[in-house]
Amino acid sequence: MAAPLSRVETVAERGFGAEIRVRGLLHAYGEAGRLPVLRGVDLDVEPGGYLAISGVSGAGKSTLLALLGGLESVQSGLVMVGGRNLASLNGRDLAHFRRDVIGFVFQDFGLLGMLTALENVEMALSLAGVSRAERRRRAAELLAEVGLAGRASHRPTALSGGELQRVAIARALANRPQLVLADEPTGNLDEDSALRVLELLERLRAERGCTLVVVTHNQELAERAGRRVRLTRGTLQ
Amino acid sequence: MPDAGSGSPGAPSSESGRHGGRPVRWSDAWLLALRSLRRRGGRTLLAGLGVTLGTTMLVALLSISATADSRIVSQLSKGGPAAAIHVDDAYPDPGNLASDELKTGPHHDLNDAAVAALRSSPNVASVVTVLSTPVLVIPCPGVTPGPRAAAACRQETDGYVTTAVGSDLRRASDLPITLLAGRLPAAASLTEVAVTQSYLERVHLDARRPAAVLGSEVELAAPQALPGAQTRFRGRWSRAEVVGVVAQTVDQGEFLVPIEQSQAARQWSLAGVATRGLPRQTSPYSGLVVVADSLADVHAVRSRIADLGYATSAPEHLVASVQKYLHIVDIVLGGIGAVALAIALLGVANSLLAAVRERWREIGVLKALGASDGDVARWFLFEAGLLGLAGGVVGTVAGTALAGSVALAVNRYLVDQGLQGIDIGLLPAAWVLGVPLASALLAVCGGLAPALRAAGLPVREALGG
Repeated sequence: MAAPLSRVETVAERGFGAEIRVRGLLHAYGEAGRLPVLRGVDLDVEPGGYLAISGVSGAGKSTLLALLGGLESVQSGLVMVGGRNLASLNGRDLAHFRRDVIGFVFQDFGLLGMLTALENVEMALSLAGVSRAERRRRAAELLAEVGLAGRASHRPTALSGGELQRVAIARALANRPQLVLADEPTGNLDEDSALRVLELLERLRAERGCTLVVVTHNQELAERAGRRVRLTRGTLQ
Repeated sequence: MPDAGSGSPGAPSSESGRHGGRPVRWSDAWLLALRSLRRRGGRTLLAGLGVTLGTTMLVALLSISATADSRIVSQLSKGGPAAAIHVDDAYPDPGNLASDELKTGPHHDLNDAAVAALRSSPNVASVVTVLSTPVLVIPCPGVTPGPRAAAACRQETDGYVTTAVGSDLRRASDLPITLLAGRLPAAASLTEVAVTQSYLERVHLDARRPAAVLGSEVELAAPQALPGAQTRFRGRWSRAEVVGVVAQTVDQGEFLVPIEQSQAARQWSLAGVATRGLPRQTSPYSGLVVVADSLADVHAVRSRIADLGYATSAPEHLVASVQKYLHIVDIVLGGIGAVALAIALLGVANSLLAAVRERWREIGVLKALGASDGDVARWFLFEAGLLGLAGGVVGTVAGTALAGSVALAVNRYLVDQGLQGIDIGLLPAAWVLGVPLASALLAVCGGLAPALRAAGLPVREALGG
């Protein structure tokens, strides 16, 4: 039987990242699973680890990331994150899991255009039911931490790509996740911005002790990770 | 970097911690909904305008319908309460109760004991006493007719005998009286009278310009027959100012006066002798206006009055029959308004469906951040509710204004025709509160399908995976 979320919370409060354990993961799309994407993936990441997943388009990188983050239901195999068996979680529990355990960083930043940078970070805290004054304070501190204190009141349209991604990182860290999943976080950035964003992610991981999994095409960036795996046709190399 | 326990911005505090199933705060959800609406300003405006127009139409139609209903019922009951019953100082005819009309038997004095018995009867809201007395009238006393005289006195009018209808004017609202111009005489006044349109014709005035008679004077003489072989009369003269013009069916007569004037005239007449032309008026009251609690009680109250030995008349069958038709008209008008509102709500649903398509990615991001299906649904439902509420508030105001404008135009026409104007009453408080809330509720219902669609989106699909 899966451990209750409160157990995971205790781990998080001790400052450890989430351990990842994947066994025999199969995933397919289309009718009757005619389009297999993952064909028996086994993966282990230690708490606080830094993993880079690379591979060509269609190799299954984003699908693996989605499965680790509870964005998709596990079809077959075992996915354990922070002591939770994701296959055993229903939709509501998966939402709580994403809110409390995972921090997502997307290639296209995924910021809400109607909100300012500060409000985008606040949104994550709002979903956790944090009071307005408290989340405003914490969001401002997070933006300062990613070097955007002066851009808090700007809307996404007024920010550069690098700034957008830093706001997205601040938002991903708002609820102190045990696991940060970054899907091509530098894909829309120039080389200089890409490097700075990745350095920021790495620094924050080191400071907070969370586990970091980055999906990237960029072999040079992938080599910065403590551990690298390559997905080829749904299997890990 | 401080650790979790030292209040790092990313660290859970005891307050924020892990909140299990706690949903997004309502205030945050409202704020997000408001921001979303603002961002889609053009579409929001159009959808809100649709709700506004629908609500305007519904409120205006219902207001006009309610005003027309009360006007028609008021017309049927001659300006008095719809549940008013006329009581005559006569025994009832056996067929009286089956008819709206007055069917009388022999004379039966109406005295204070009968009034007290009626006032203590169940389902009786009010009893107003009426006493009609004969009077000799001299219009415009002491005024030389001519172009310089007041409008009512420009032509010579001979004195004539008519009836002054005395009523307890403290309860004028319970009487079948329609004020056409001026005001009613002050209760208990001995120097003020109101006249009917017949008097206007008698003094050569246009009945459609009733105000012209106001301020003129009349002399009224209550007759007293003197004993002797030859019938002779003497009068108790009094002078009064015409302060109002009324249409009244309290009793037949050209003058409406406070009952105190009629009672003084009766006392004067009783001091004389009875003659063929002037019988002794033994009954303290010539009639009563009894108001039942409701239209449904009218028949029962008429029955009790008949049991006391008095004939009655009341338009109960006519009003009941007309009300059935009015109810159908209300339903039709309400239905038209409801269809308009339903179309507007379809607009809300359409707008939100488009918003779901537009915000596909945003929905995915919110879910990835941990928003539950309920959070997402609430977001869209709040948007719908805000649209409905705003449209409902503006629509209620606009509908009331529209109905008021129509009523003003109708009122002007009626007054020009010398008819009673209509009341442009304030919208009942229940409507003022209820219509916007109902509009918001209906909009939420309209937004249900888009909200459920948004809530049910698989996260990965919404994120474009």
